Amino acid sequence: MRLLGIFAACAVLAGAASNDTFLIRDADVYPVTSAPVKGVSVLVRDGKIAEIGPKLVAPKGIKVVEAKGLRVYPGMIDSATQLGLSEVGAVRETVDTGELGELMPQLRALASVNPDSELFGVARVNGITSAMTYPSAGRGGGRGAGGAQLISGQAALIHTSGWTWEDMAVRPSAAVCVQFPNLGRGGRGSIPDDVLGMLGEAGPAGSYTQTLRTYQQQIAKLSDFFEEARRYQRVKAAHEPGFEPNLKYEAMLPVLERKTPLAVSVSSPKTIHDAIAFAEKQNVKIVILQPRDLRSAAAELKAKNVPVILGKTLALPGNEDDPYDEAFTLPEEVHKAGIKFAFGTFDNEFVRNLPYQAATAVAFGLPQEEALKAITINPAEIWGVSDQVGSIEKGKTADLVVTNGDPLEIQTQIKYLFVAGKEVSLENKQTRLYERYMKR
Amino acid sequence: MRKLLCAGLMAALAPLGAETIVIRNATIMTVTKGTVKGSVVVKDGKIAEVGEKVLEPQGATIIDAAGQYVIPGIIDCHSHIAVDGGVNEGSVSVSSMVDIKDVINPEDISIYRALAGGVTTANILHGSANAIGGKTIVLKMRWGKDAQQMIFEGATPGIKFALGENPKRAGNPQGGGRGAGAQTVQARYPATRMGVEDTIREAFNEAKAYKAGWDAYDAKVAKGEHPIPPRKDLKLEALKEVLEGKRYVHAHCYRQDEILMLLRVADDYGFKIRTLQHVLEGYKVAKEIAAHGAGGSTFSDWFNYKMEAVDAIPYNAALMQKYGVVVSLNSDDAELMRHLNTEAGKAMKYGGVSESEALAMVTLNPAKQLGIDNRVGSVDVGKDADLVIYDKYPLSDYAKVQKVLIDGTVYFDRDKEVSERPAKEAQKKKLTDQEKQLQQQQRPQGGRGGRIG
Amino acid sequence: MKKLVTALLLFGAFAWAESPQAVAIRNAKIVTVSGPPMAKGTVVLRDGLIEAVGENVPVPADAWVVEGEGMTVYPGLIDAMSTVGIPSLAPAPSTGAVSGRGGRGAPTTAAPTATTAAPTPRSMGPEDRPQTASWVLAADEIQPTDPRIATVRSAGFSTTVTFPERGIFGGQGSIVDLSGAEKTGEMVVVPAVGQYIALARGGFGGGMGGGFPGALMGYIAYVRQIYLDADHYKLVKEAYAKDPRGMARPQYDRALEGVLDSRRILLPANRVVEMDRMLRFAAELKQPVILYGMREGYRPEAAAVLKKYNSPVLVSLKWSEPPRDADPEQEESLRTLENIDLGPSTPGLLKKAGVPFALYADGLDQARDLQRAVKRAIDAGLSREDALRALTLAPAQIYNVADRMGSIEKGKIANLLVTKGELFDDNTRIQMIFVDGKQFKPADEAPAGGRGMTTDNPGVNQ
Repeated sequence: MRLLGIFAACAVLAGAASNDTFLIRDADVYPVTSAPVKGVSVLVRDGKIAEIGPKLVAPKGIKVVEAKGLRVYPGMIDSATQLGLSEVGAVRETVDTGELGELMPQLRALASVNPDSELFGVARVNGITSAMTYPSAGRGGGRGAGGAQLISGQAALIHTSGWTWEDMAVRPSAAVCVQFPNLGRGGRGSIPDDVLGMLGEAGPAGSYTQTLRTYQQQIAKLSDFFEEARRYQRVKAAHEPGFEPNLKYEAMLPVLERKTPLAVSVSSPKTIHDAIAFAEKQNVKIVILQPRDLRSAAAELKAKNVPVILGKTLALPGNEDDPYDEAFTLPEEVHKAGIKFAFGTFDNEFVRNLPYQAATAVAFGLPQEEALKAITINPAEIWGVSDQVGSIEKGKTADLVVTNGDPLEIQTQIKYLFVAGKEVSLENKQTRLYERYMKR
Repeated sequence: MRKLLCAGLMAALAPLGAETIVIRNATIMTVTKGTVKGSVVVKDGKIAEVGEKVLEPQGATIIDAAGQYVIPGIIDCHSHIAVDGGVNEGSVSVSSMVDIKDVINPEDISIYRALAGGVTTANILHGSANAIGGKTIVLKMRWGKDAQQMIFEGATPGIKFALGENPKRAGNPQGGGRGAGAQTVQARYPATRMGVEDTIREAFNEAKAYKAGWDAYDAKVAKGEHPIPPRKDLKLEALKEVLEGKRYVHAHCYRQDEILMLLRVADDYGFKIRTLQHVLEGYKVAKEIAAHGAGGSTFSDWFNYKMEAVDAIPYNAALMQKYGVVVSLNSDDAELMRHLNTEAGKAMKYGGVSESEALAMVTLNPAKQLGIDNRVGSVDVGKDADLVIYDKYPLSDYAKVQKVLIDGTVYFDRDKEVSERPAKEAQKKKLTDQEKQLQQQQRPQGGRGGRIG
Repeated sequence: MKKLVTALLLFGAFAWAESPQAVAIRNAKIVTVSGPPMAKGTVVLRDGLIEAVGENVPVPADAWVVEGEGMTVYPGLIDAMSTVGIPSLAPAPSTGAVSGRGGRGAPTTAAPTATTAAPTPRSMGPEDRPQTASWVLAADEIQPTDPRIATVRSAGFSTTVTFPERGIFGGQGSIVDLSGAEKTGEMVVVPAVGQYIALARGGFGGGMGGGFPGALMGYIAYVRQIYLDADHYKLVKEAYAKDPRGMARPQYDRALEGVLDSRRILLPANRVVEMDRMLRFAAELKQPVILYGMREGYRPEAAAVLKKYNSPVLVSLKWSEPPRDADPEQEESLRTLENIDLGPSTPGLLKKAGVPFALYADGLDQARDLQRAVKRAIDAGLSREDALRALTLAPAQIYNVADRMGSIEKGKIANLLVTKGELFDDNTRIQMIFVDGKQFKPADEAPAGGRGMTTDNPGVNQ
């Protein structure tokens, strides 16, 4: 009897230890990197996708998810968030982006991520299983460095579920964030700045010549810093005695070795061109964030194979005269130019709406398959983790989303969620409040 | 003769005259009578007929909507577009003397962009800087018309209240202020939620006394006397109208405590809150809201951007509706207002709201909240022909607005607009080149930016 | 001998700006504005008035003669909205930002004046009468020592309609002849011509930092409340005057007195939306109104709305310029481009539409700048005659003083402009200007608000 008890205990233990081994049965699988297949099963073993095929037999004792009539997609990837680093945008104490200092490549976003942020729970239940999280001053919170910061730190690609940030890390240092100097100008209220200027009311301040000068000075500053980093690299390689490690330059080494790209936010043809030229001169890899106005830059991005992360598709046009659908058609424009791209929400609360940003792009011309790729395999490739995530293929981590339909459709429900090979509850703070007040 | 391009542009986008139109072969989501596969006849600015088979009047303009969808024009219950010179009179905590109606900007491009997103009517509100804010107005998005013509005739005017963090921000100049320059600012009462309640009560006390004065005057006049009238005070006049039910109160609120507070204050002074705006914790006190009779106009899924929004849930709309509150979904944002159709779709996702109920949240429900449901909000015979044609199922991000009609006139036509873009680009290029030439002439030889003053 | 005497007398005339008993300008081209121009004629001035004008007018024996061969005589120009004469309202030294008074009221650079105390407490509502000095008359603030008087006169202006442009209700403007008399009273033609009202525009926060009002709608509400209060005040005063017994006396409110005294108001309007809004507002307040600014006056909608109300307007001569130093990649909006392109065609189009208007210098005080600005309007479709009229008889008509100025007619005030060359041409030089019959010679171009007052010092510029 005791032996049975021990066996039972072992079985339970085995079962408990194998919550990352399970079978999803009889679903329509959308691998993304190959054509969808109907009515097949996916076997996950030890958190990795082991087998995809019809009529797979589940090994004894493992959990089976009956998925007849449902679909399986790779977990979606948001290429631009500050998840875990910011809780309530208006409350500075809860925001950990935007540190002080001009050149700060050594700052690590990863170790400041709060795995228990409510925002993870909200994002993942709509199928976003991983996200890039950035250290730079974002919207609504980071008052730290203001506009003067040039290098903000290292962004991390993380899973949206896990016990600790170590647990959640997919790529601890996925990019070094550069705030490229800009030449911006904005409008005020319902009347753009230039119109106000025309009417003799407060016009745009400063002159372009001045702005340009400052812009060039800032780029020179960046160049100098890269130069210093390269000198450090040489000194370190020479193994001279008395060598002292410098955290800032250490952080630059993977960039100089072309292992880690720069993530650069630039939006206009001139700044895009200058950013690309800068990367070329420094011989580093670059990813461009949120380009809005392409024009001549499109051909250059394609020619130099620079990938871009597009911001929210649902955005207002930049200028009064721009077509109302200027932002809606940008993804299609980028795709047509042959540029590799992924979507990012540049947000925290609205990460869950990532698939709908992609859907809007489809309404305005982007092919459906491209939209799906832009939130799965493309970001995986851009951030150098395509060996682990981004599609349903043997050997990859089981980041899977089981739905009752097209995840880009709003009414689609997520039925099961698997992050890093483990099933994750579809409960979050919001569902709990809902349940509670249903009973009032 | 120089072409007046601006006029040309306006003319190009200006509506065709009110004509008889048949929208043919569409899937019509009426909101009140389910979905009909058929046609809509529009005559004299009104919906004349809806049905599977309709009588097409002789000479009517035919809009072939085969494979497309028709819904009622979307109504945004919370917007700040088309306002000139500032949306907040934030200098005082009771600013009921100001009126959005005075500062309508009919040339705000946001109007056109909203139109291109299917919005035909919007409730234009004062901002949320004051416990009692300014007077508000309902507009139709009649792009190309002047300020007066934009006003929704006969819609009851409103006034904006605000509770929670925003109206007390000016009471705490050091903490909480976002980007308010380095100047030392005098603190403006109130600085806490308690003070917000006090401010509202004090204002209505004053308003009651003011009303008593005018009632006494009216009584004397009715008796044939000729007394000197009391001084007309714009601030208290607006509140007097609230007490008399002539002006709707739209109250921005978040947390359940302040929602309940306002309902009780209104009860004490004998008036009703018409709509609670944002009302992100409305689901917690839905019972009380329904009992009072206030409508709830909320976001589909915003949360967490400030402390009072941390308990916001996307099931808010569904839950409030379950308890009997008339719920609408609004934008409070010039961008979000362009896709309220998909916000309605989210109500279906969160809380199992049915398709027609979800659509009602951006059409008939806001119409009811604004008291204009006799005119708009559904595809029903006799109502204004405010209609939107989508190329695909409207409650989806895959859909695009093709045409928008207001009062039976086509105010937005995507195909037409897209075809006119090259001409507009050319015009602009011509003027830009001309201007560059002018700048070259002005610049001295080898000029470096000309005469910088 | 005669020539020597004449020369001596002329020298004497230039030596000091004093009015001789009578002056005759003979054999000059005379553009009267009220009638067809005369190729060769004579104007006689006496005691500050025009005694005679015509082709065959005899020269009185006691008159100082100005040989007008090769010269043209025009009526002195009238600047329909100005602050010249009130030194504290001179604009601060330019920092390159766009300046100009049209459509932008609110206290900008005004130093504290006699009428407003030093730091004013923050206004908490309309009852505090914020930024209001409606009782002020420009005539009471004119200082003959304001250096701008001479500057502006050298540009061809004999007269300005000067307004105390401060705050929301600045006070009433006065028509002022720039004769540099010692006693201000001698310069005033009409002491009160209308109330200056300016409405600033607020940002999103709308005055949270400052007092009431902050947003545009706050300014409008305030103005509306003032007029409601004024009506009520009048009612109460009349009732009290009829029988004060048993009645609480009306509280003296000089802001309301100032408003009640004004026979018309001036409101800012540059965009068509503003024109519509302001005209409707003035009609609601039951006030005759003059709109000033008119930057979008070229649009057909502008003419349409102006014709509906048939109010006269003042068009700023400060045409929009392309930005000097702008980002070449940044596109300007179509609206701005059109404004730059079509702005100068505004006067011509208004004339065609039959809208009564005048031009005003809006801070342009150099002859060359003024001429250039008017020339641009002429090139864009305004006839020369209409351009001249817009700076002479039209403003006189708008302010109801066409019976005494604005043209060269017998009996009118002797304000004359004498040029070599046609007015508004690039190479035209102003030879002399008569104000109230006093003769002035323009100085060499001096920077605005220059150094010292008497830029027309005798003998210096010979």
